[in-house]
Amino acid sequence: MSEALIIGTPNSGKSLLFNRLTGLHQKVANFPGITVDISSGPMLANPGLELVDFPGVYSLHSISEEERIAVRAFKKSLADEQLDYVICILDASRLEKGLHFAMQVLRECQVHGKPMLIAANMIDILTKHDMQLDTHGLARALGVPVLPISAKTGLGLHELAQAMDKNQVSQHQHVPVDFKGISDVDLRQMAHKLAEDCGPKGDLLIRSQARLDAFFLHTWTGGAAFFLIMYLLFQSIFTWAAPAMDAVEALLAWLAALILPLIAAGGIRDFVKDALFGGIGAFLVFVPQIFVLTLVVGILEDTGYLARAAVICHQPLRIFGLTGKSFIPMLSGVACAIPGIYAARTVDSPYKRWLTYFAIPLMPCSARLPVYTLIIAAFIPAREALGGLVGLQGLAMFMVYFFGMMCGLLVTSIVSRFGPHSQQDMPFVLEMPPYRLPSWKPLLRNCWNRSRHFVTKAGSIIFTVTMVVWFLGYFPNGGTDLGNSWLGWLGKIIEPVFQPLGLDWKYGVALLTSFLAREVFVGTLGTLYGIEGADNDMVPLVEQIQASGITLASGVALLILFAIALQCVSTLAILQKETNSLKLPVQMFIAYAVFAYCAAWIGYRICLFF
Amino acid sequence: MIKTLWELMQGEKCLVQGFNQELDENYRVRLMELGFHPGEQVTCVQVPRLGAPKLYRVNNTIYSLDDNVATLVDIRVSE
Repeated sequence: MSEALIIGTPNSGKSLLFNRLTGLHQKVANFPGITVDISSGPMLANPGLELVDFPGVYSLHSISEEERIAVRAFKKSLADEQLDYVICILDASRLEKGLHFAMQVLRECQVHGKPMLIAANMIDILTKHDMQLDTHGLARALGVPVLPISAKTGLGLHELAQAMDKNQVSQHQHVPVDFKGISDVDLRQMAHKLAEDCGPKGDLLIRSQARLDAFFLHTWTGGAAFFLIMYLLFQSIFTWAAPAMDAVEALLAWLAALILPLIAAGGIRDFVKDALFGGIGAFLVFVPQIFVLTLVVGILEDTGYLARAAVICHQPLRIFGLTGKSFIPMLSGVACAIPGIYAARTVDSPYKRWLTYFAIPLMPCSARLPVYTLIIAAFIPAREALGGLVGLQGLAMFMVYFFGMMCGLLVTSIVSRFGPHSQQDMPFVLEMPPYRLPSWKPLLRNCWNRSRHFVTKAGSIIFTVTMVVWFLGYFPNGGTDLGNSWLGWLGKIIEPVFQPLGLDWKYGVALLTSFLAREVFVGTLGTLYGIEGADNDMVPLVEQIQASGITLASGVALLILFAIALQCVSTLAILQKETNSLKLPVQMFIAYAVFAYCAAWIGYRICLFF
Repeated sequence: MIKTLWELMQGEKCLVQGFNQELDENYRVRLMELGFHPGEQVTCVQVPRLGAPKLYRVNNTIYSLDDNVATLVDIRVSE
């Protein structure tokens, strides 16, 4: 099978072109550097030709490890006999930058004797503003075919597909300049001159972009727009995803009602009921939330707003060692750490992305909410404070949310100052992409792919842990008495660990099971106190906890434990997948467990004084 | 007078003169690849408040640079 390689600078429309030509569903967004993997697929119009989409790089002179990997892979591909030619895509509306890169690519192609063609993208934008691109002049100067296209509208793609023939590309190569001996400095000057001669004249595009930037980055209007957009993002996570989450829950309940009667009572039925429908179902309900969040973040990326949000947040987050690009992943983490970790891909600096991973699990996710509600209801009196302005319970909820966020920023602050600096950092130089309307089809496909990735990749790890916890809780007494199961015994063994916090073995067991999903804590505690359906109606459980003699100090310790500890198998699984290593999730799990315990103990001791 | 890019006010234009020695060689090359090479005209298009990164126009592209980088780019303000 012959092969053609697509390469271009970030945000040049490379992945959109790849999707158009192959029908595959590579993620496309209006945020520089969004392609992180090398994708390949057969061309729709010519299935015998395999197209390879390389990550966007600004230059073949790489400065980060990720770029180095991409450039090394590109040069290796050039030496491959299977490779027929290279398609270099450039943004015609910002010609000089693309031309400089295209010349670097052309130089490498000449070294390896590979033909090349240039696809000048975003020609629709030039046409819309009555601007021209002299493709013939460019083709003459560079000695390669230059085709005007719009990957977004499909303009010129038929001509491009026709030109994508090995013999045709080779025939149109002539060498007006031998680029092999030309330095980068000279290439830059040539690109500058060529862009002036053949590029669009005028700065209409920049003027319209500057007008919108003047609004979105203005202290007052920009600030108001930022808070409004972030509010909508937050709402989308909590409110818009809720009906779909309820639907998944209802579907699972319907399936359970359909399947369970067909299985004879006993171990297998209990396994299907508790482990499959209960355990696996608990993580499947997050799929709609991931879909909605990916969609909203995708719209922000596509329209170009994400880059502006990064500028707005950069200065305050820099105090804590982070970058403005860390904001969206952290905000996403308030709904659920999993989409937050996915969103961290938009942080281009490997070091800052690594730091962002530390902050995300400490954001007060929605799974913590039922636990906080239970503990606050049990220990904080439902009284009004500050002259009736606020309720004590509401104030406690706000404080525990605020505490989690502050812990996240404190951790990144400490790690950035005293932790290892093994990952590479990048300076804050961010290209402001033009404002555009979203491309809905690739956007929705990306949401689907991201949700599928969550189910297939994290699912295996979550399934394994669910099995282990279910097995320990079910045997040896067949699930009739959780307190006397192996899990119960384990809870009693680790009881001395929780005694300094004033907690008994029941809380130890509930903390162990909450590793599946934090909200499982409520249901487990209900089971141990002999209350059915505690996760739906907390009142009897709250009364039981209050009657059990557990003190307010222990309640505070529990709140602190839950705010900090990383006892969430899904988060750990996704961290492992995204970092491609077990090291970071294991280190974070241990470090946050120690941090949570020490902070909880301090909180407990302080409360004992009052 | 030689100033740094960070000192450029909104609407002002400048010519890039060079780079401070403190700027890492890799970043210097990258900035030049993005268009910030000596002799190139740069315009400061926006100065968001509270020390946020500033927006600079080079050719037909706008970049946002924070003070860590912009203070290491030497410029001469043009009329």
